[in-house]
Amino acid sequence: MTRALVVFAHPCDDSFSAAQKNVVVGTLGAKGWEVDLADLYAESFNPVMSADERRGYHTVPANTLPVQGYVDRLRAAQALVIVHPVWNYGPPAILKGWYDRVFVPGVSFALVDGQVKPAMTHIRKLGVVTTYGGTWWRTKLAGDPPRRLVSRAFRYTTQADKLVYLALYDMNRADHAKRADYLARVQQAMEQF
Amino acid sequence: MRALVVYCHPHNDSFNAAVRDLVLAKLDAAGAETRVHDLYGSGFQPILTTAEWQGYLTCPDNCGPVSQEVADIRWCDTLVFVYPTWWYGLPAMLKGWLDRVLLPDVAFVMPDAQNKTIRPGLQHIRRLGVFTTCGASRWLTFLVGAPGKRTLTRGVGYLLKPGKRLVFAAHYLMDSSTPESRRKHLLRVAAKMDRLIGRAVPAPIPQPRSPQAAE
Repeated sequence: MTRALVVFAHPCDDSFSAAQKNVVVGTLGAKGWEVDLADLYAESFNPVMSADERRGYHTVPANTLPVQGYVDRLRAAQALVIVHPVWNYGPPAILKGWYDRVFVPGVSFALVDGQVKPAMTHIRKLGVVTTYGGTWWRTKLAGDPPRRLVSRAFRYTTQADKLVYLALYDMNRADHAKRADYLARVQQAMEQF
Repeated sequence: MRALVVYCHPHNDSFNAAVRDLVLAKLDAAGAETRVHDLYGSGFQPILTTAEWQGYLTCPDNCGPVSQEVADIRWCDTLVFVYPTWWYGLPAMLKGWLDRVLLPDVAFVMPDAQNKTIRPGLQHIRRLGVFTTCGASRWLTFLVGAPGKRTLTRGVGYLLKPGKRLVFAAHYLMDSSTPESRRKHLLRVAAKMDRLIGRAVPAPIPQPRSPQAAE
């Protein structure tokens, strides 16, 4: 197990999200992982599934053609780490669109007799590093949608042995010390990854 | 009644388009004024840009790039979403609408010296309707925790008037839907719209679409 795909979704390179991404990429690299960074903003990823793509959604394997590069990078990886801020109880649109367009039938799941079967089983380790504007309580009251997507849906389609979900809540009021603590947590988690 | 209908689907012959048409017919029959944001139709750009992120907290300049959308959400007292559920959540197009339009001082008020937490900013909206289609079954959607539904009914719902009227309807197992299941769902949507409006209003049920345009 050597290759990790790190998917990063934030528009600014001087953001706290970017700092988390740098810790993830740096720590995994130092631990001997071959890291492939997919910086969705920097790569100008288009998150909008087009009308034609939607029509061909279930046509395996041609459904991967519009995003073949990302499908190849995903398939080459044994670990997937996603770094993003939570906006409005979900991933930024650019990342949601990456899920919409890349995790198509045949790549992340297969439909067998109408039943959903895991197809992303090459991903043995799954990690998310994120920040929430809302407090822990408010996020739980809303049902924490982004965590459920990963801990239930993605966990199922990968059947990953290891799942790491790191979150800093109430991010807007987190002072320097809290942020530094969080980066240390991220580093420790990635060292153990 | 002033209703803003946010519609998101790439195909204009989709089942979701039929749901949208029914929603609009009901609103029209109730005498409501309506505005529609057809996100694919209008070519909405869902990516929050670097400049927007840098100016995110600068009110009211942060509204500049989406001034019409902001004007509409400030104008309405009823908000309705019609969209397919993809990956248990909102299509990127609709998620981007939330990211770019639900801004500080529009949808919520950021914490300050007096207030420790984020406060709702859309308390003029008294009705929320959420209509979707899911490829997954009801059971699987429940197991995953229905992230898309929660994002709107709880996440966005929290920003609206306390005690607002809320209706939700989903057609599950969309890929194996039949003309009959789709017709039944439209009847369900019609009943939910009556509840949202507060009284039964007459509106024709649109013809079910072809199986090729199931979702």
